[in-house]
Amino acid sequence: MADQQVIGKVGRVTGTIAPEQVGEVMISIRGGSEAFNAYAADTQDTISTGTRVVVIEYFPPRTVVVSPM
Amino acid sequence: MDPLILAGGVVVGLVVLFAIFKLMWRVAEPNEALVISGLREHSSPEGAGESMGFRIVTGKGTLVLPGIQTVRRLSLDLREAPLSIECVTHQGIPLGIQGVVIFKVGDDYVSIANAARRFLDQQQQMDARVHNVFAGHLRAIVGNMTVEEMIRDREKLTSLTRQSSGSEMEKLGLIVDSLQVQEIHDPTGYIRNLALPHAAAVAREARIAQAHADREATTAEQGADALKAEARRESMIKQAGYQAEIDKASAESQQAGPLADASARQHVVVEETKVAELEAQREEQRLQASIRKPADAKAYESVTLAKASRDARIAGAEAERQEVELHAKASAERVRLEAVAEAERVRVDAIARSESTRLIGEAEAAATAARGRAEGEAVQARGMAEAEAIKARADALAENQDAVIGQQLAEKWPAIVEAAAKPFGSVDQMIILNGAQGLSEALAAALSQGVAGLQLARNLLAGGGNGAKAEPGDRDALQAPGAAPRDRTS
Repeated sequence: MADQQVIGKVGRVTGTIAPEQVGEVMISIRGGSEAFNAYAADTQDTISTGTRVVVIEYFPPRTVVVSPM
Repeated sequence: MDPLILAGGVVVGLVVLFAIFKLMWRVAEPNEALVISGLREHSSPEGAGESMGFRIVTGKGTLVLPGIQTVRRLSLDLREAPLSIECVTHQGIPLGIQGVVIFKVGDDYVSIANAARRFLDQQQQMDARVHNVFAGHLRAIVGNMTVEEMIRDREKLTSLTRQSSGSEMEKLGLIVDSLQVQEIHDPTGYIRNLALPHAAAVAREARIAQAHADREATTAEQGADALKAEARRESMIKQAGYQAEIDKASAESQQAGPLADASARQHVVVEETKVAELEAQREEQRLQASIRKPADAKAYESVTLAKASRDARIAGAEAERQEVELHAKASAERVRLEAVAEAERVRVDAIARSESTRLIGEAEAAATAARGRAEGEAVQARGMAEAEAIKARADALAENQDAVIGQQLAEKWPAIVEAAAKPFGSVDQMIILNGAQGLSEALAAALSQGVAGLQLARNLLAGGGNGAKAEPGDRDALQAPGAAPRDRTS
């Protein structure tokens, strides 16, 4: 049950990620799905709701950096 | 040793062992985490590297040494913290907001560790803590939103919630599932006023729609009424038609009796008329027999008698006429004989008288013949003399034509000029172009006809060769123009 497993997972944006604004992604983890605060890897990027993203960085406990697929 | 006691001992021993194991074995429910601290719990079981100083167990059982290690249970259940704050929106409108924050302890070890360190003994006060934290955050959130956004834009509310509370809740090891605004008190009536235009528009639309529907319904009703009236009218027309037919039939049926009576009476009258006619015929025949035939017989008698008397008279008259005729013939014969005798006498007398007259006439005729012969000789002698004169003039003409013709023309010149000027005499007003010269030209043209006549006569004489034969034509040509002026002057 390593939390590092979050990296590489594919999630879905449930709250728009905008520059300098924290968004939300839902990621399947630990047999369920959990919401994580999310930033875009490119800080000027805007990722709208519903976009599929991949987690590229994890800041415990509940913050991830994602990139659109 | 009694085997029964031995068996009892074993069972007791097993029971004791199970009791001891039960005391030492702890199981984490799905909605809780076991926080174990004490002996040998120095490092994270997942090999995080750094020591947490305690051990976290979720979803499974673990052996705990009673007295050496302590086990606490941290609930991972969903919690909610009611919020009730007074705040001011982005537009400066004061609002009273009643809401609820739904949160839980995070499922990862980091969150559980953070939460365990903060709330393990204060799990019941967790809601109050969260309320205090979120009261401040909610004021910030509402201050960044307008009333309209708060009512309508759920996405922005959750986004702002994440922004303002995310990192702070991470510190507490909590996850905010949602922030729900349950009720908004609006002391200034802003929301109600906000709704008023829309409500008025909706009310207007509703009234319009109702009016439309009412109008359509009325139209449909009126149309239906009109159709009903039309149907009623047609029905009444048909009823009236049928009633008319019924009336007609009943009238006819009512008239049938009188009609039959009349018909019967008509038959009676017809029969009576026939009877009367027959009676009249009988009477006529009776009268014929009783009056006319006797009258006819009497008339015939009278006629016959009259004819007989007339024939008698005619016969008498005829006899008388024959008598008169014979008498007349006799007298006529006598007159004729007398006339014949007279005629014979006259004829003899006339013959005698004619003979004497003939003798006198013969004598006179002889005398007249002698006198006629003497006159004839005298005339012959004079004709011979004239012929001689003509012949002499013809000879002269043959020798010198121009002299003769010139003399003739000189004699007739006034008449020729008058004849040439005659066409101008019948003109009321004549315009002569070219002045006096034109007039003289016109006259010269007219007079040249005379010269042409002279030339014609000369040609005739030259071509003919016989001067005596040409002379009468020449004389006619010269004298013809002169005839008209003589007629005019006379």
